Amino acid sequence: MKVLATYNIKGGVGKTSTAVNLAYLCAREGRRTLLWDLDPQGAATYVFRVRPKVRGGGKALVTRAQPLGAVVKATDYDGLDLVPADFSYRNMDLDLDDTTKRTRRLRQLLHTVADDYDVVFLDCPPSVSLVSENVLHAVDTLLVPLIPAALSLRTFEQLVRFVADSGGSPEMVAFFSMADRRKRLHRDVIDAIPRDGARVAHTVIPSLAMIEQMAQRREPVPAFAPTSRAAQCYGELWAEVCPR
Amino acid sequence: MSSPTPTIQPYDGAAHLDLPSVAAALSSRFDVHPGVRRSVRRVHLDTFDRRLARAGLTLVQCTAGSPAPTGSTAQLVLTRTRGSAVGPPSAVAEVPDTGLRWPALVGALPPGPLRDQLQPVIGIRALMAVADQRRQVRRIELRNADAKTVVRLELDEPAASSATAASATASPASVTVLPLRGYPEPARRAARILTDLGADLGQGRTHGAERPAGVLVGPGAPAPFDGTAPGRTLLARELAEFATAMRETLPGLVDDVDTEFLHDFRVAVRRTRSTLKLGRDALPAEFPSRWEPEFRWLGDLTTPVRDLDVYQLDLPAMAGWLVAAEPSALEPLAAHLDRRRTTARRTLLRGVRSPRFERLMTQWQQALTDLDQQPSEPRPDSVADERPPVSARRLAHRDIAGAFRRVARDGRAITPQSPGEALHDLRKRCKELRYALEVFAPVTDPALSRRAVKDLKSVQDVLGRFQDAEVQRHALGECAAAMMAGGTPAEAVLAMGELTARLETAQRRARAEFDPAFARLIRPASAERMRRLGGNR
Repeated sequence: MKVLATYNIKGGVGKTSTAVNLAYLCAREGRRTLLWDLDPQGAATYVFRVRPKVRGGGKALVTRAQPLGAVVKATDYDGLDLVPADFSYRNMDLDLDDTTKRTRRLRQLLHTVADDYDVVFLDCPPSVSLVSENVLHAVDTLLVPLIPAALSLRTFEQLVRFVADSGGSPEMVAFFSMADRRKRLHRDVIDAIPRDGARVAHTVIPSLAMIEQMAQRREPVPAFAPTSRAAQCYGELWAEVCPR
Repeated sequence: MSSPTPTIQPYDGAAHLDLPSVAAALSSRFDVHPGVRRSVRRVHLDTFDRRLARAGLTLVQCTAGSPAPTGSTAQLVLTRTRGSAVGPPSAVAEVPDTGLRWPALVGALPPGPLRDQLQPVIGIRALMAVADQRRQVRRIELRNADAKTVVRLELDEPAASSATAASATASPASVTVLPLRGYPEPARRAARILTDLGADLGQGRTHGAERPAGVLVGPGAPAPFDGTAPGRTLLARELAEFATAMRETLPGLVDDVDTEFLHDFRVAVRRTRSTLKLGRDALPAEFPSRWEPEFRWLGDLTTPVRDLDVYQLDLPAMAGWLVAAEPSALEPLAAHLDRRRTTARRTLLRGVRSPRFERLMTQWQQALTDLDQQPSEPRPDSVADERPPVSARRLAHRDIAGAFRRVARDGRAITPQSPGEALHDLRKRCKELRYALEVFAPVTDPALSRRAVKDLKSVQDVLGRFQDAEVQRHALGECAAAMMAGGTPAEAVLAMGELTARLETAQRRARAEFDPAFARLIRPASAERMRRLGGNR
């Protein structure tokens, strides 16, 4: 089982859009796919029309009072399941802090469903926290969407240091999201990002209305607009990062 | 531990299972969204010996449209069954509809999770079409207030205009409830509503897939047989089964579907030969002289191709033995084996298409029919065979005791100085004992028989490894000579030399393992088992 996470300290950079669309494409290939919406805001859960409720809340999962597999919900798409968000995830740091191996608990929980899935996606909240450390120790690949702005580069550098300091060793793949190539600043940032700290994907996800429509339509982009440029871009991104 | 995977409970259809009635019944609790009705062709796939079915799996190639439009894709859907229930797909692969032709080996499937799951189950056997159905299918989604699909139904009806001979026996309309993980209650509710509609719970419907005729599914539990009945009758039954196996594997052998058709054919021939030998005292007097040479001819006819098959199957693993040479150095050997196999198969096919073979199969079948219809007691006026019939149990005791005596005698005579031929001969004696235990299993104690076969197996494994290594060493030598004469590069021959050395080591290791393995076979507990199976002789 391979684990990928969409993660950035900053919010609103395209983590959920990426997680939702890549998970959909992954399942469409025939791989058994699970998406865990770790963000208490529950955006991915909303897109998939699942109620944001986990029996016993995040604490029950972390303490194993509730098996992870018992809270999985099938989405409307064959081969794609979801662990929904729950508002109680806002306290997951506190719940994790009370456990033994507090930075490895997420990995342990994912191990319990390893026989059921080929690929797991984690849609992470924008934070630097114990949840984030758990993610770093659980994933094989960390997907980092970046908006092409100067501050994003600074955030990216902080993230590279955070990953290095955490002791986890995921592959980091940064990619530009919500990019507008008409803006010179965006072009300059895309060209200027250092490529020695982490891999930078060739694919750039543009700022497109079709992607924003996901929340309105409550479907992944390749599901409702399979021939759109947005779907094509996510397909290219998936081709770059999908586990072999 | 993850929650159980949802299972599908099929509902076999009555005439009232159509879309309007189903939708009307469910609309009070759900938002019913019927999909488009589509024609589907379902080709059910499995190996000749039904390995997928035995592993609790079903593999179906589903093609939309009948006939499928040009350039369409088919889905290969692998599903796990649990009793009468079918789980959700465990793997799906898309293939171009014209891209796959059956039978096909697993390597022909597109790489991915489906192929990865199939490989360990079907191994080197080819997938074949075991059933082919054309249906009209409509998926119905039942949604909640959030427009989330919470359960799916599949309404499956026979194709409306099927003109095939199978249409009269086509499965009736059915509705399958497909629960979604995490939504058990909606599925239960839908099932209750359908039950109220009058649908009955199905019993293991698998889309009408039929078991192909004559599937070889391994020994299984032997059918019971009265031990006091004539031994001839038991032997006739066993010989008839072997004849059936030969007939049914022959087409796959001729078409070279996979290597196991020839292997299974040869096993049936070997068992026939052993049974003829075991039954000399019980079968008609003319049987040995009439039939033993013919089946010996048949066995010899099939040996060269089988030896080459084994070699080709082992070659990838043998490439991993190389230390000095690169695996690619064996490519000339692989090509040489291919050429030799092509030539050997031509000889084999000439043989199985020859009048001699045709006569053998036809006349043997007739002889078995006559044998089965012979009276159990010799007629007063019979001149052909006046020997009183030996009972099956007595024959079993005599043959098993005799076979074990020969194994024990020949095995004890083997010393460190014994030539390889002595171990080859012992291997044949062990096979005869093994076949005796299997043939007479219906009239011997089953637990004793199973233990005896297990005791024997370890010696057979060692002797098999010993002989296989020797055969392969000699074959390598012959191949090397032929290839050098043809100008094969030195690196290929050197690589083959490495293989020869490894085989020599393997043969010596097997020889060293023989003594303790044989000692275990003739240890008091094991010998006692054989004695009891042999009627305490």
